Amino acid sequence: MTSLASPDLEQFRAEVRDWCEVHVPTGWRDAQTGVSDEEFVSFQKQWFGELRGAGYAVPHWPREWGGGMSVGEQIVLYQELAAHDAPRLVLAFVAIHHAASTLLAAGTDEQRSRHLSAILEGEIWVQGFSEPDAGSDLASLRTAARREGDAYVVNGQKLWASGAKYADWCLLLARTDPDAPKRHGISYFLLDMRSPGVEVRPIRQATGESHFSEIFLNDVEIPATQLIGPENGGWQVAQATLSAERGMTMLELAERLGHAGFAWLVEACRRPSAEGLRPVDDSLVLDRLAGFETEIAGLRAMCRSLAVRHETGHVGPADASVVKLYYSELLQRMMNFGVDVAGLAASTRITKPMSSGWESGAWVLDFVGSWEWTIPGGTSEIQRTIIAERGLQMPRA
Amino acid sequence: MSTDLAEHHDELRAVAREVLAVARRRGSGEEPPPLDDQTLAAAGWLGLEAPEALEGAGATLAEVAVILHEMGRSPVCSGYLGSAVLGVGTLNLLEPTDARDELLRQVAAGAVRAAVGVPTGDDVVGPAAPSFRLESDGRRLRLHGHAAFVPDATDADRLLLLARGPASTLVVVAVEPTGSGLRVVEQQVLDRTRNLGEISAEGVEVAEGSVWRFAADPETSACRLLDRAALAIACDSLGLAEAMMEATVAYAGVRHQFGRPIGSFQAVQHACADMLVQVMVSRELVGTAVELLGGEQPDGGRAVSMAKSHVCAMAVDVVGKAMQLHGGIGYTWESGVHVYLKRAVLNRSLFGSPTAHRKRLGQRYLGGVSASSED
Repeated sequence: MTSLASPDLEQFRAEVRDWCEVHVPTGWRDAQTGVSDEEFVSFQKQWFGELRGAGYAVPHWPREWGGGMSVGEQIVLYQELAAHDAPRLVLAFVAIHHAASTLLAAGTDEQRSRHLSAILEGEIWVQGFSEPDAGSDLASLRTAARREGDAYVVNGQKLWASGAKYADWCLLLARTDPDAPKRHGISYFLLDMRSPGVEVRPIRQATGESHFSEIFLNDVEIPATQLIGPENGGWQVAQATLSAERGMTMLELAERLGHAGFAWLVEACRRPSAEGLRPVDDSLVLDRLAGFETEIAGLRAMCRSLAVRHETGHVGPADASVVKLYYSELLQRMMNFGVDVAGLAASTRITKPMSSGWESGAWVLDFVGSWEWTIPGGTSEIQRTIIAERGLQMPRA
Repeated sequence: MSTDLAEHHDELRAVAREVLAVARRRGSGEEPPPLDDQTLAAAGWLGLEAPEALEGAGATLAEVAVILHEMGRSPVCSGYLGSAVLGVGTLNLLEPTDARDELLRQVAAGAVRAAVGVPTGDDVVGPAAPSFRLESDGRRLRLHGHAAFVPDATDADRLLLLARGPASTLVVVAVEPTGSGLRVVEQQVLDRTRNLGEISAEGVEVAEGSVWRFAADPETSACRLLDRAALAIACDSLGLAEAMMEATVAYAGVRHQFGRPIGSFQAVQHACADMLVQVMVSRELVGTAVELLGGEQPDGGRAVSMAKSHVCAMAVDVVGKAMQLHGGIGYTWESGVHVYLKRAVLNRSLFGSPTAHRKRLGQRYLGGVSASSED
């Protein structure tokens, strides 16, 4: 277990608490239920601005770019934001995590200074990785980028691009050498979403919402200066930065599951039915609740350990996969249980608040939405294979 | 955890592995290898937690947890649980007296073996309901009661029995097992690596000087003692699961069927991946409980119930899966997987079933208290 009991951290915790009490908007869950895209975007940008003003928006960035918090401080920050049920930074997520870590790891000085400051001003990013025929087998992607003079001309189709309809910029993987082995012919680009030939079509998902889009690319020109990392070295850049941020982002989600998520569950179990019976008075229900609280405690401790190992450079090759797999399946089981205890009434909740975590108390939607965790970002099956082959060094199939 | 402490634990772990490996090599193969008191004392394990002034090492629960974890990885027959973990653990909770100090010194040196008579089933959780009671007939104190599945009871030279005294105070009664009215009987169990016994007292005459008081609040102290017992078993189960996961991964890498190692089949890979996830989560739960209980934190009991319920159930699943993935050889006596499975099954029930520990956790959801937790 990571000790967070130092006097400095306690002082910092008190500061964050005070800030949260003043700044976390009250009643945002109700206010954000059933809102339009525009209202969602404006709420997210406003909340991002509040966090940035306090120095809490990008705590994991290097100090010269506006971050510089220690791992202990970041843990405390996310614990307190979760404890005060603050809205999540949904819209800025890819920008502050994936885009930033890619820029910091592989970007030129010009690329960094242009985009990192723009991200702090609210620039929104989307990830253009998956394709119709390149899901779990991402390296077989076929979107092609052909060098013509000072630019690359891109043709192809991206799928499952989360938040594409709001995005200003896209992290794009495209094939630049069709003859090389598949992982050695991919390049990584920064694509301006306003470029001619870019078309975004939202996909309606199982919950009825449209978090994801298809991106069609027809003769889109990307200036060669927007290649990031070496030509044909894009796969390696993506691998290095994809899981880099998983430690702290999973910690945040685990903290939210432990606070709002578990609190919703207990509340559902305490709510009397029409007959006046409380699920919590049933010993089987109590047993399940205790089991979930225990698993959440294990998850939270595991996330803290992982965050600290990131700092000390002792991350195991499958640690990020272990956390993602455990979180997503625990979330799914918890939401399933929520549906079970809330009964028929749960089906009458037909909208859930935007900007929340993956748990909102709208159990059926939360349960259906939990597959958004077990499928994207590497399915549970892919994670298990990674854990076996990289974590346990088992023979490859 | 500081780097120094982590290095110290790594050294302790390495020594423990060596001591246990030597014991295993001496074993007959048919029966679990014994690890005698002299070896335990020489390794410094019996007195690990005894104060330095009494020739102990003055170490903490964190170091004891390292040994327990290693003993789970490599089960042997020893009196470590009964005499050191519970015996020394109990004595440390008592008011220091000459008699207590002398016993602590002797137990730490391996000269005297102790066993602790406390509840060992689902009654370990909740308000302490001791197995023994001390009654006064006006002139003498007499002890009544019965405790079952007491670790290392039959080999003990001294019994430390948790009892409720005449004034309803919880005390520890220190008696010789040979006293009149006392009976200690071995309980045969399928897990041959454990030595468990039944202690009955029917009107045993107890001298005033054999009634020892707790140094702190008696109810809290008794609770801590039972939490210590439950956590010790969770440490052991973590070791069992870890060792069986490693053995399974190694076996799946060398066993070939259909012309390739069975570990290259996705069904086997994914089962092993699930083992690793469960072991990693369990490590965190045990680590948290050791830190909180050892540090006398108010949340220690809650963390122990989480660790005990989750880790002991997990170990049965992991060892069961290990037997399955070893195939036919795993079901043989020779493979030794059954030793782990039987110990894991006993561990799951000893000092509180998962259900009993979750019941303790669940009481907190009934009322109006906030459900979310601090850690």
